[in-house]
Order: sequence, then structure tokens, then C-alpha cells
Amino acid sequence: MAPPAEVLAVRGLSKSFPGVRALDDVDLTLHAGEVHALIGENGAGKSTLIKLLTGVYRPDAGEITFQGHAVSFGTPLEAQKAGISTIYQEVNLIPLLSVARNLFLGREPRNRFGVLDLARMNREAEDTLRGYGVQVDVRRPLRTLGVGAQQMVGLARAVATDARVVIMDEPTSSLEPREVETLFSVIRRLRDAGIAVVYVSHRLDELYAVCSTVTVLRDGRRVHHGSLADLDRLALVSTMLGRDLGEVREEGLTKFTGDHQSAGSEPVLDAADLTVPHKLHGVSLSIRPGEVVGLGGLLGSGRTETAKAISGALPVRSGRVTVAGVPLRGGSAPAAIRAGISLLPEDRKSEGIVPGLSVRENIALAVLPRLSRFGLVSEARVDSVVDTFMKRLRIKASSPHQKVGELSGGNQQKVLLARWLAMNPKVLLLDEPTRGIDVGAKAEVQKLVDELAADGLGVLLISSDLEELIEGSDRVVVLKDGAVVGELTGDDVTEERLMRTIAGDTLAEPVKEVTSDG
Amino acid sequence: MQRTTHRPRLLTRPGVVALAAAVVLTAGACAKSEDDASKDTKPSAAAGAEQKAVAPKPGSKSCTIDAYGAEKLDLTKATVGFSQSEKEANPFRIAETQSIKDEAKKRGVKLLTANAQSQFSKQISDVQDLLAKGADLLVIAPLNSDGWDPVLQAAAAKKVPIVTIDRKINATACKDYVSFIASDFVEQGKRAADQMIEATGGKGEVAILLGAAGNNVTTERTKGFKERIAEKAPDLKVVFEQTGDFAREKGQQVTEQLIQSKPGIKGIYAENDEMGLGAVAALKGAGKKAGDVKIVTVDGTRNAVQGIVDGWISGVIESNPRFGPLAFQTLDTFTKGEAVPQDVIIQDSAYAADNAKAEIGKAY
Amino acid sequence: MAEATLRTAPLDKTRVLQWLQTYGVYAGVAVLLVVNIVITPHFLSAENFRTQAVQVAPVIIVALGMALVIGTEGVDLSVGAVMALAASVTALYLGYGLLPALLVVALFAAAVGLANGALVALVGVQPIVATLALMVGGRGIALVLLPQLEDLRNPALASLGSGDILGIPYLILIATVLALLVAFVVRRTTFGRQLLAIGDSRPAAQLAGLPVRRVLIIVYTVCALLASVAGVLATARLQASDPTSLGNLMELSAITAVVVGGTPLTGGRVNIAGTVAGAVLIQLLTATLIKHDLPPSWTQIAQAIVIVAAVYAARGRGKR
Repeated sequence: MAPPAEVLAVRGLSKSFPGVRALDDVDLTLHAGEVHALIGENGAGKSTLIKLLTGVYRPDAGEITFQGHAVSFGTPLEAQKAGISTIYQEVNLIPLLSVARNLFLGREPRNRFGVLDLARMNREAEDTLRGYGVQVDVRRPLRTLGVGAQQMVGLARAVATDARVVIMDEPTSSLEPREVETLFSVIRRLRDAGIAVVYVSHRLDELYAVCSTVTVLRDGRRVHHGSLADLDRLALVSTMLGRDLGEVREEGLTKFTGDHQSAGSEPVLDAADLTVPHKLHGVSLSIRPGEVVGLGGLLGSGRTETAKAISGALPVRSGRVTVAGVPLRGGSAPAAIRAGISLLPEDRKSEGIVPGLSVRENIALAVLPRLSRFGLVSEARVDSVVDTFMKRLRIKASSPHQKVGELSGGNQQKVLLARWLAMNPKVLLLDEPTRGIDVGAKAEVQKLVDELAADGLGVLLISSDLEELIEGSDRVVVLKDGAVVGELTGDDVTEERLMRTIAGDTLAEPVKEVTSDG
Repeated sequence: MQRTTHRPRLLTRPGVVALAAAVVLTAGACAKSEDDASKDTKPSAAAGAEQKAVAPKPGSKSCTIDAYGAEKLDLTKATVGFSQSEKEANPFRIAETQSIKDEAKKRGVKLLTANAQSQFSKQISDVQDLLAKGADLLVIAPLNSDGWDPVLQAAAAKKVPIVTIDRKINATACKDYVSFIASDFVEQGKRAADQMIEATGGKGEVAILLGAAGNNVTTERTKGFKERIAEKAPDLKVVFEQTGDFAREKGQQVTEQLIQSKPGIKGIYAENDEMGLGAVAALKGAGKKAGDVKIVTVDGTRNAVQGIVDGWISGVIESNPRFGPLAFQTLDTFTKGEAVPQDVIIQDSAYAADNAKAEIGKAY
Repeated sequence: MAEATLRTAPLDKTRVLQWLQTYGVYAGVAVLLVVNIVITPHFLSAENFRTQAVQVAPVIIVALGMALVIGTEGVDLSVGAVMALAASVTALYLGYGLLPALLVVALFAAAVGLANGALVALVGVQPIVATLALMVGGRGIALVLLPQLEDLRNPALASLGSGDILGIPYLILIATVLALLVAFVVRRTTFGRQLLAIGDSRPAAQLAGLPVRRVLIIVYTVCALLASVAGVLATARLQASDPTSLGNLMELSAITAVVVGGTPLTGGRVNIAGTVAGAVLIQLLTATLIKHDLPPSWTQIAQAIVIVAAVYAARGRGKR
């Protein structure tokens, strides 16, 4: 049997954005009937690659060969017409049109008078969708369908438009387990029909269930490619995270001093059974005063969601949070803040700082009511608080009246820390506290976290930087697909253990395995 | 949006003369002799003073039922449909609808009414509803001049004659509709000019408070006023023309600016009563006395006529909204098979110091 | 070539724009004053300034509320309708005396403001849509309550509209006090600071535990209350309640004053002094053109030019 034909070949693709080399000399080859896993952590270049393939961006260098011809797509529509279809997380269909209209959009069947043949369209739509496990009244508006069913319609539409390559970007993120099964059977059918599928997901189980080949991107480069079966989970995770297993660890890369003496007392924070549909499935963890608990896991494993759920920023379906023995009521951000929980959000620029306001206003933002009487701000008290924290955190600004948006990332992060420390919190949730800030500021922030823990705060640390996570944490709770899959304590807090746990490697022993595929 | 509800009410203000006796109307012709109509100060006993028409100009076209292609019928046994354009939220519309209803009652004619609430699409469906409900004749106060084709076709199919009041529709008279009844806005402007000349002695500087821009009522009332001034009192100079948007508050604001910058102004011609009353408020606020500045307005609302009685306003040219008698008279004549004019121009009355007190009861 | 202009132009341009943003509106007012003093007869008189101030007072009062709403990155299109509603309700309840009538007006206005605020803050409707609903509905209610203009003969109301203290009309005094009050609230209270933070970055304000919903609801309520004050004052001045035309296009005048005054539509900043100056600028511009009897279409064109200039000057601020 002749080897399957090459459908898509990418050679030396590069793309830069101001200040970032998003994709650097990447190759990718797809054959007919291949299901290809494309993986990488945040910022690895996956979405840039997809956008280059589908004509959203133009490459700086490199070439794309599609079905034997060099191509250069100017718009996603061109790519789609040529035969490259993309299914995004968010369904890109028209919610108010009927299911059938969506399915046949742009290629509606017409009768001999050139008029839309509704009956035929609805009949064919029903037949088509049945093959995708979707049995609905196709005359209903698309938006009345569940997300999963909508995604199936999108998929059916993509396939029906004579696609040769179908790119799926985290297709299962909002699907129920049963729908995931249907999706897999559809993918297998596509594969059998000779269509090449690019499958992007962070769920390792899914990758191993449907993919035959894999490309791993890291920092814009291709770091691995080949058969997925030849790469076990641990190797896959370590390749993604860029940590070679055999690599000798250098201690002291970070400014963390290491273990903290937690008072051994009652937990200052106890989160139990947090459940958020599609995101968290019964996550529990607790933090004692003076303890830094790391939250490990891959992108999309539910780390940020856990922090947000604890801080009341993400509504939970069930579960409870207790702060120093007192159950948190209301589940709103103000309630959590009053109880002493502070969250340093992952997206500093859009969720953390208020860019147009001054350093002073930003620091005083949360604590303002406490510095006011009858709603009138006491400027003197604000000044004293701001002064204290600017000195303590060594915030570098031309004056307290400088706009926060003009500061460096590190100083912005310190302003946010100051905002929370002014509230005298019991628990600090730090989501990627050092991402995107320079080395010096990073060291300062790390040192500060240590000091705060030493002062008796409970700290939850989320970081994609494995060193930071390992060295900064006394314990690491590992998440996978929105559930706790293990906890590393004491001497087990090592990168190897962490990666094994993330990979779901059963050898990782005292780990309590929790299965969940949703 | 409010603009649109406001504007049409003034757009549609027809000149309507009260006062012709009912006897005259029932006499059969809708055109009255000129002398009869020109100086009309007969007090009306009836609450709804009737209107009368100016004699058609020689050679003006008329319409008969044969030419129109409908069938004769007896008006008293017929059903008349009336489509009002705006909700009855101002004196003009209230009086107009009431007049149609009163006349129908008086004549014992079955009347169906509908109100489009200033939405043209609603008016179209209103009229179609009226047709469906069995109207044999239609009286329409159109919101727009254009877009009537669907209705006209539907009416033609049922051979239902249409009379439009206060605003014309863009279609062929005696084919798509029978007659159009309204005032001559240019004439109103001229008569306002006469009053202004009389009040000021024909000398000095006067101002005009224009109606809403881009409105035929505004342009025609302005044209008539200026023409008559130029012709009869060249010493009277129009030195100020600003829009008051037919609204009292705007009239007040513009007048305040006016009397600041032109303290010597002798007269103000307001193209509707509301702006005139706004001008009165501005003059009062500036400490002027009644009569310091002569004000002439057009409309004939009770408030404005009261203004004459109080001495603040010199003259009011009336636009009578009581279309009922004339509309029904036209329909009656037409359905009997006699000729009716295609354009029925209404003779307007006027109020001045000599008759205001006596005739304020007539004002709407 | 482009390179060269880019190198030199931005500095000067940025500086000019910055200056225009901060002082442009005051410069505009100053220029118009000087021009009018030179070319307009009888301009330099107390009576004239009094007229201009009295005419602009309601606009200023509405614009104050609008500035607060715009500070939260919202907009309130219902202010004109609230003025009409205030006029209707005043006419209906004036029989019980002025004060009771004012209380009922405040109740109605608060209801509209609460509805706006609830739609925006609780339901999550976009401000422009939420307040559009009340703009249409509020005017409708006003017309149902009072279908046509009604003359009001109430001495208390009349003196509110035309009375004065030491020669300064009540209207001007009320507008001044309200402007100072709103400026104080913005600068010195927790509420004011929270409002700005919410307007600048709502997600950040939310995560910082600010009472976002409460602040938004209060802001829309205050805006409606201010609009109702303007409605009552305009009614008092006219001595007639005219729900059919009172407040027409007031939302646009108010937004214009706010924007021309240097408050960005993107929220997070409120310039009260600028807003007052913006309203005065438009008033003087209109007065100039009317006094010189230029066609009304000129006023609209001139206003458009001022708005474009203001938005152009504010452009740089967006890219902070």
C-alpha cells in the first residue's frame, strides 16, 4: 500500500510581532487520514501557527504547500474555500439562523426556479446531522442547541464544505463526556475518509485516544514531532514544559528560600469540592497559615479557575470555601475580600490594574472604604498607606500620581500586591505573579512572597515556571482536567514528581489518582 | 424621535375657517362664494365651528364619480373610515378628530376610526384594516406624502373614494383619490403680514420665528409673509429669521437672544402659536410690557387668543382643524354624482384685538 | 519621508493635543467671548450674560449627570425623556403645592434611573440599549400622563423659574451648587473614586471587590435625578409643562458638553469643570450665530466642527 498522500506541508514558517518572535522556523507535515496532535504551553505558538495556516496572519518567512501547490491565503474565507476548515472553541456560526441554514450557509440547495428549496435543505440537514449524533429539529435557531450540538453542526459544516484539512482548536473544552465520544467517532470517520485533522488540546487522554502523530511547540519552535505512540505521557509533558528528565537541577535559581515553618495549626483556607461546569470537578485544597501551596498542572487544567472560584470571581455550582474556620457566604468577590482572600489575577493588565488611575489610587482602591468616613476620603490616611507600601515594596514610580499604566510590569505587579496587602489579608492567591516581568522584579516578588508567608499569610502560588513552583512551594497540588490528581509534599516536591503526576504516570505512587474526562 | 411626532402636527395644520353656517354647507356645493368667505366674523353658536372653502379658481379641476370610476351611494347609509396620522396629543389633532366624529354623528353616518400614532407603517395597515372592515368611503389625514401605493391600489380595487385632509399625498387627483382639503399656508403668511403691518404701522424692524426646517408649512408661511411685506410695507424690514422648531421653549430662547442683540425690534412673526407664546414668555422675563413688541402668530389656539385679550399678542391667523363638515360635504356631493373640486382650499379666519374677546370660545 | 515626519511631528503634535485636551474648551470659550465683545452689539451687558447663563443652566445640570455616567463608560440617552416626565409630573401634582410635586417628580426620576441602572448593572444590557428603551418609554409615559402642553400658573413655580437672589437667578445658583457638589463627589468621596475605577477597568474593579453594581445603579439614578431637576427648572422658566417637546435632543446636547469638556467616552475620567465649560461653549456658539441671524443650519455645522475637534483632541488619550 502506498503511503498516504501529503496534504499539507509547512516549511520554515516564521512570524514575529513587535517584541515577540511568535513562531520561529517551524515545519509541519500532514498526510491524508492523519490525526495530528498540536501541543504546547501558553505562548508556544500554536494559535499563531493555526492563524497562519488559515489566512488570518501572513507569514514573515516560510512556505505552505497545500495539495501539492504553494498557497498563500489572504483571508480565512480563502483558506476555507481551498479546503482548510477550522473549528474554534467558540462556534463561528450564526446563532439566529436555523440549524439547517447554518449547515448550508452559502451553498443552499435551490430548485429549478433558483429559489431556496427549504424542504430539501431541511431533509438533507437532518440526514447529515444524524451521522454526527445530533438529532434535533433543524428548523430551530442554532442558538437553542447546546454548545456541544452547535459544535457538531460547525464540524458537519466544515466537513461538508469539502475540507481536506480540519483544524480543531480545543474542541472538547465545553463538551459533555458523551459528546466527546461522538466527536471522537466523527474524527475517526474523517480520518477514514482521508481527511487530515489537526487536533489541539491539553487533555492528554484525548490526545492518546485519537491522535496518531504529534508536533510539540515551545517558545515558537518545534521541539518534537513524530508518532505519538512513541512518546509516553511523561516524555510528552517534559517536552512540552522543556524540562529534560535527566537534567541536573541547579538549586537556588529562584529567590525562594524554600520551606516555611507552617504553624501546623488549623488551615487558614479550606476549599472543598469546588465545581464549575466544564471547568472544575470537585477541587479541594487547604492552606495553613505561613504555608505556600503550589498549584501545578498544564494550561487549561483549572488552576486559574480554582483561584477565581476561591476568590468569588467565578460562580461555583457547588463546593464551599472556609476562611480561618468561618464559611464564606455569598460567593462574591466583595464577600471573599472581606473574609480576607486576595487574588492577584493572571491577566494583570486587564483584570488587575486600573491603568488610567494613578499609583496612589490603585493602591488605595480596595482599602478606600476603610480610609473613609461617611463616604469622604481621608487624603491623609490614603497618603500614609500609599507611602508605607511604596516604600516597603520598593515601587518605582515618578510620583504616587503617575498613571499605573505607564509603569513597568514588575512595578504594576507590586502595586497590585500593595493594594492587597493594604487590606491585611489572610490568604493571598497569586496567579502567575512573575509572568512577563523582568528578572530583577521577579526576584523581588519571589522574595516578597517568602516574607509574606513568614508573616503568617497563607499563599496559593500558580506558576507555569516549574522552578518557581517547586522552589517556592511547601506543597504542590496537581490539577488535571479540572480535578486534583495528586499532591506532592516534603521531598516529593520535585520537578520529576510533578511532571509524572501531570502526565498521569501511575508510577508516581502515593498519588491518589482521580479519573475524570470531562 | 420626539421631533417627528412634533413636526407632523404642524405640517398638517390646515387652514380651516370656522363659522360657515351648517345651512350653507348642506346646501350642496362645497365651494362658497368669495365674498361670503372673505370677511367672516359671524360668531358661531355651534361648538364645532364649521369650515368653509375658498371658491375654486376659474379653471381649477374638479372631479365626478364617473370620472373617478366609483359608484354612487347614499352617504347616510354608507360606512366612512377615518385614518388619523398622530395621536390626539395636541389641540389641533384633538379638534380635528373630534370634528370628524361630530359630523359623522350629526349626519348619522357610521364611522370607523384609526390612529397611526405617528408610525407610517401603522397608518398603511390602519387604512387596509378600515377597507377590510367595510369602509365605503375614506377620509385620511396622511402622516407622509409618499408611500401610499399599496393603499391606493387596495382602495381602487374596492372602488372606495378617498378624501385627504390637511396634507396632500403624492398621487393623481380624481384617479387615486378624489379631493384634497387644506389651507393655503402662503395665504396665512400674507394675512399675518397684514396684521403685522397694521400693528407696527408699517415701519421698523421685525423678526420671524421660523417653524421646523425643511417643512413646507414653514417655507410657505414665510414666503407669504415676506411677499406681502415687500409689496405693501417696504419700510418694514425683516432683520432676523431663526428657527423655533414650532416649540414654545425654543421660541422663548431664540426671542431672548433676539431682544438682547436687537433691542429695537418692533414686531415678531411667529409661525405658530407655541413659539409666539414662547416669545411672550421671553418678553415678560426681560421686563417688557405688553405691546412693546408686536407679536403675530398663526394657529388660533385658545392660549394665543387669550394672549390677544391680555394685550401681549396683536393678531392670530387661524388654522381651523374642524375638517368634519367640509370633508363630509365633499363626500356627500361626490357620491350623489355631482362634481367636486380636486383641491379644496379653506378660507382662514383671524383674531385681533377687536374680536378676540368675543370669539375666544371658537378657538381650539 | 514618513520616517522623518514621524520623528519630529509626534512630540509637537502630542504636546498640542495634550494642551487642547486640557485647556481647549476654556480657550474656545475665551475666544468666543472676545469675538462677541468685538462684533456683537449689546453683548457686553449683565442682562446678556444673565440670559446666556439662564439658558445654559438646564443643559449644565443634565450634563453633570451625563458626565458621571460617561465616567463609568456608559451613556444615558433617557435624560431628555426624564425632563419631559418631570414636566408632566410637575403639572399633575402642582395642585398639591410645589414641594409635594417636586417629591413626586424625584420619585418618578429615581424610578427611571433605577430601571436604567438595574438593566445595565444587573441584567448586563449595554447602556446605550438600556437607556434607549427608557428614552422611548419615558417620553411615552410623560405623554400618557399629560398628553399636551399645559400652562402652569403657580407663583412658587414661577419664582423658581424667574426669581433671583441679589440679581443672580435661582437657575444659575442651582446649577452652580450642583456642579460644585458633583465635582466634590467625584474628587473627594469613595463613591467618586470607585466610579472612576469602574469606568476605567470594570474587570479590575470587580476583582478588587468594588461594589460595581451598586455604584452603577446609583450613577444612573443620580443622572436621572439631575435630569429631572433640569426638567422642573425648564418648566418653571417656561411656566408651562410641555412634555411633547421639552428635553428633545437634550441627550445629545449633554453628551456634546461632556465630550467637548474633555471627558473621554471610554470612561475612567470625569472632568466637571470642563463639562460646564463645554456646555457654555456650545451655548455661546449658538448665541453668536443666532444673534448674527445666520441660518440655523450653520449652528448645526458649527457644533459638529466643535465635536469633531474635541474628539480629535481626545484621540491621544485613548492610547495611554
